[in-house]
Order: sequence, then C-alpha cells, then structure tokens
Amino acid sequence: MIEEWVVGTLSRTLAYGTPLLLATLGEIYSERSGVLNLGVEGMMILGAVSAFATAFVTGNPWLGMLVAGITGGIASLLHGLISITLRANQVVSGLALTMLGLGLSGLFGKGFEGKPLDSTITNVSVPFLSDIPYLGEILFVEQNPIVYIAIILTPIMSFILFHTSLGITIRSVGENPSAADSAGINVWLVRYLCVFTGGILSGFAGGYLSIAYRPAWTTGMTNGMGWLVIALTIFASWNPSRGLLGALLFGALMHLSYRLQPWVAPELLKMMPYGSAVIALVILSFGTLKRSMGAPNALQQPYIRGEK
Amino acid sequence: MLEKKWHSTISLLVIVSLLVIGFSGAIMAQERDKLKAGFIYVGPVEDYGYSKAHDVGREHVEEVFPWLETFYVENVAPSDVESTIDQFVNNRDADVIFTTSYGHMNPTISAAEKYEDTIFFHCSGYKRRKNVGTYFSGLYQTYYLSGLMAGALTETDKLGYVGAFPTPEVKRHINAFAVGIHEVNPDATLHVRWLNAWVDPSGAKEATQALVEEDVDGFAYTEDSPAVLQTAEENGAFSFAHYNPMYRFAEEGALSGQVSKWGAIYQDILYKVYYGVYTNENLNDVDYWWLLKEDAAALQAKPGMKINPKYEDALKSVTVQDTHFGEINVYDLVMKRLEQMNADRVTFDPFIGPMEDRQGIQRLKDGEWATHDELWQIQWAYPNIKGPWPDEPEA
Repeated sequence: MIEEWVVGTLSRTLAYGTPLLLATLGEIYSERSGVLNLGVEGMMILGAVSAFATAFVTGNPWLGMLVAGITGGIASLLHGLISITLRANQVVSGLALTMLGLGLSGLFGKGFEGKPLDSTITNVSVPFLSDIPYLGEILFVEQNPIVYIAIILTPIMSFILFHTSLGITIRSVGENPSAADSAGINVWLVRYLCVFTGGILSGFAGGYLSIAYRPAWTTGMTNGMGWLVIALTIFASWNPSRGLLGALLFGALMHLSYRLQPWVAPELLKMMPYGSAVIALVILSFGTLKRSMGAPNALQQPYIRGEK
Repeated sequence: MLEKKWHSTISLLVIVSLLVIGFSGAIMAQERDKLKAGFIYVGPVEDYGYSKAHDVGREHVEEVFPWLETFYVENVAPSDVESTIDQFVNNRDADVIFTTSYGHMNPTISAAEKYEDTIFFHCSGYKRRKNVGTYFSGLYQTYYLSGLMAGALTETDKLGYVGAFPTPEVKRHINAFAVGIHEVNPDATLHVRWLNAWVDPSGAKEATQALVEEDVDGFAYTEDSPAVLQTAEENGAFSFAHYNPMYRFAEEGALSGQVSKWGAIYQDILYKVYYGVYTNENLNDVDYWWLLKEDAAALQAKPGMKINPKYEDALKSVTVQDTHFGEINVYDLVMKRLEQMNADRVTFDPFIGPMEDRQGIQRLKDGEWATHDELWQIQWAYPNIKGPWPDEPEA
C-alpha cells in the first residue's frame, strides 16, 4: 500500500518536474555565461503555443517540439540583442520578454484554444526495464519520452559544463568576461550561444506542456512555471544535477498538493514552490547572498570591452 | 354654423391623423432601433467551459431575434468590470448588459447605480436592484443523474470530483452527484479534491491523477477545460463533461455531461426587455433559477446524444429496487428521472428528505423538498463524500 503510494507519487513527480527541469537546465547555461534571463515564462509559453499549432496543423508532434525549440531560441535572441549587444539591464529585458511572450501567445493561440489534438507525444512503457522492482515502475511504466530526454540531458549538460573546455569557456565568461576576452574567447558569441540554448530548452519545456503533458492549448497555461525555473536555477546553485533534484522536489510538491489534500492544506504545499521563487529573487538582488550561493561573478553585468 | 362644425371636424381629423402618424412613426422608429446587449465574460470564449457556454447562448439569441445586436468582452476580471461597463454604455450604447461571473456582482451593482437607464442582469449572484436582475441555470439535477450512472458503473466503489472553488454552487453539484451515487450504490464513496481556480488545466490533470492513484474509476468536475475528462480517459476511467458537451475530447471516456443552456434564459430576458415587460425600474424581484424543465440545463454527451452508447449496455445490466418504479435498470431509471424533472409539474428532486449531512445533522425532514434558498446557500456535505470540505457546518 505504502509502496504503491510512493511509486505513484514519484511517477507523477517526474511528469510534472520535466518541464521545470528542461527550462532550468537552459537557464543554468544562460546564467553561467553571465546573462540572467527572466523571460523563461515568456519563452516557455511561446514554445507551448507554437508546438501546439505545429502539431495541430501538420499532425506531427515531434515537429511541434522542434518548432517549440526554435521559437524559444528566437525569443531568447531578442533578450540577447537587448542585454548583450545593446547592454541594457538584463532584468528589465527579461521581464519584457515574459510579458511579450504571454501576450503574443494569447494572440496567436486564440484559434487553438480548446481544440482537441489528435497527434500527441504519448506515454510509453519500456519493455524489460519496466520489470525492475520500484525503479522500473516509477521510471519505465507509462512515462513520456520527453521525460527520458530531460533526465538524460542532465548528466550530459553537467559534464559539458564542468569537465570540458567548452564548459570552462562558458564559466569563465560568466566569472570574468574581460579575462576571458583577453584569453581570446569571443565573449559575445559564447553569451549568445548560452542564451540561445536556454531559449531552446525553455521552448521544449513549453512544447512538452502543450503536446505531451496536457495535451491542449490554454492561454497562460505555463501558469508561473517560468518563475519556478528562475528559483530552481538559484537553489541548484547553477549546477545541472542539483537542478534535477530541485525540479523533482517542486514537481512532488505540486502533485502532493492534490494527493495530500485530505490531510494537509493544499494552499501550503502549492505555495511552497512559489514562495521559494520569491526568496530566490530576493537572493538575486543582494550581492553578498548571491555570492555565497555560488552565483557567476559577472551575472547581470553586460560586458563592455576595455572596462573593468 | 354647419360650416364651423365641418371645420372643427376636419381639424379634429387632421389632428388625430397627425397624432396617429406621429405615434406610429415613433413606434416604427422604436421598432427599427435595434436592442443592444453587451456580454461580459470572466474567461476566454474559447475555453470550452463556462464562458463558452454563455457565448453559445449569446449566439442563440442573436440568431433568434432580428432586432438584437450583441457584443462581448472576454477575460474580464472583477476589477475591470466597471470600466468595461463604462465602455459598453458610453461607446456602444448598450441597453442591456449581462455580467456572467459571481465575482462581477459588486462592480455590476455599483455600475448600475451610475447608469440608472441601463438594464443589467448578473449571473449567479444574489444582489438585485431596480435595474439589476439575476439569473442562473441550475445543473444540480443533471449532476444527480450523472451520479446514478457513476454509482452503477464504478468497480472500485470510489468516485472522484475535482472541484474549482468550494462555493455553494460547486458544493450543490457535488452533493447532487453524491445523492445519485448513493441511490444506486450505497457502498460507494465520493472523493473530492479542490483546485482553488476556475481554470487550471495542469492542476486539474494532477488532481485527477492523484485520485486515479487512489483507485477512483469515475469522475465529475467543475473546471473550464476538458483536462479531467482527458486524463480520466487516459487512465481508463469514465467522466462527465461540465458546462459544455465535450464528447469529442474523449469519445471513450465521456459518459455524458451536465450542460448549461443559457440561450433559453437570454431569450426570455431579452424578449421581455424588448417588449417593455422588464424596465430599468422593475427588476428588484426578477431572479431566474432555471433548471431542466425550462430547458436551461441538459444531460448531454454531445448534442443529440444523452448518454454515450458505449455505456448503454453496462447501465442496463445494473438493476436497482426503486420505491416507486420497482425493479428497474439504471439506464431506464435515469430516463424516468429525467422525465420527472422535465415535466411541467416536476415530481422529483434530488434533494428530498429525509436527508442528513456527513456530520449527522438533519438537513431535510421526511418528504421535505429543499427550497431555493437552502440549495442556493448549501454548505454541508452528503454522508458519502470524503475529503476536505472548507466552511463545513460543525455538528
């Protein structure tokens, strides 16, 4: 009985934690290169609407995911243009992107609201592996392929960040852009690529919501998830593996707010991720706190060649 | 002398005919003037839930009355209601304004104080004024019918309800569903989870999953998307659509649905406004509480299909002992009850005593029918309901 309960909860935790994880992995790369992108919510929802529209029109959900990634990526370039090239305030630019995304998606999504989607990315059970006790039931019975993609991406992105020269390049740009520049690294290009990666993954996260998790399009369907991602990135201290743990924890809280409703006030459980998002934003705004959490040194600082 | 009389007769005739022409001109002018009705929705029109149902009603009256012009604004939060009404009155010359959400109540009343010449109708509230009437389409009878079917078909004896907010409206629906379940299956329990949102598809999905994990195999809900319906189908459970027919979202899992038909109410109101029965002076006591009988509600999987035929045999194979009908299968029982509640003289209601709530407090005496006010303010929970129940009256 208890086992069944835990297995069921963990399985749902994965389903709900996946979009959080995908977008968090992207935001970690973006912030590691020194660019805070508060536009995650906007990129996610643009990904969600474009994925749904593509899958609805073409009947191919995987094409929908691809388009979601591209849309998120393009949206992130806007943030890149403003905050990297034009060196404007990253916070303001990110907020603007979120508002733009929410507005645009509502506009373009109007015709798709409430439409049933015939072709979705459906859950699969993996043969043999699903027979493993407990773990098999949690991971390999009726899970979405995108859940696997997100989980597999985590160690890969962690490895790249901490054990390859590319990772060192990214981190050095985020820690000390002028030193990186004098070492011959193209700071501008690295930052753009990292922001773009973040955009693609946020777009995927949105696509997962609209064509795999739900599957349907509803205006504002990301429902504040983008802000949870900002919080997760900070609590994971910009580390992909911890991002996985955090995403699972937030996913579990969301599911448990319904599961435990007869015993625990759902408001309390549901509030915790959002409450932590508020705390995260507070941390971001205090320099010393930010340092002690291990934030990249040059986070939020536009790079201007020749200035310290 | 005679000439003078002749003259006065002619002048009288001229005056009378002028008056007649004038009057008829005025009448014709009035006839030519279209009645303008504005609708204010709380959600998106395409939400396939609550606001969609209202908009179907709006389209209905626009089609029925050639003299009517309608317009609407969607996604209007309570704080934006007054400014939307300002716009409707000043820029679009609205004669009648419908505000369709409970939260729109207070702003509607204060706008009505400002625009004394405009007629307002507010849906689901209780505050009226000389120029503000109220209306509502009650779905509780259809929820009861769905409960009969759910009670008959559950194999785990566990049914689920995903509720939006714990308001009297939603509680009335849950209780009616529970009464139906109990009537055919006294062992079954109804498990309730709250979303604390009218629209929250992800939450609805997660709540449904949580109940599936608890072995629930049949669902009803109040949420403005097909999320519960779709999630239930994915898990092999049946469910009942809410507000709108949603059969096409889940052709396997959608057993039937409780459907609002606001068009009937809008038609009656606008007809009476147009012909001067309702004015901006006499709405103090105008309150519509329309049910199955008035065709303001329906049991529907989709238009023309009351019950999904896939479930027909299963429903016919379950028989119960009814005090009035004797041994009867559940399919026939649903149809009989529908007939009873559709009749001009309604001979059945889900809320007939003796009835106790789950705290053991007697709510209805033997043979007593619940009154409009009791149903309108219902806060208690029927005994087979499990789960949290905010504002539950203490024993």
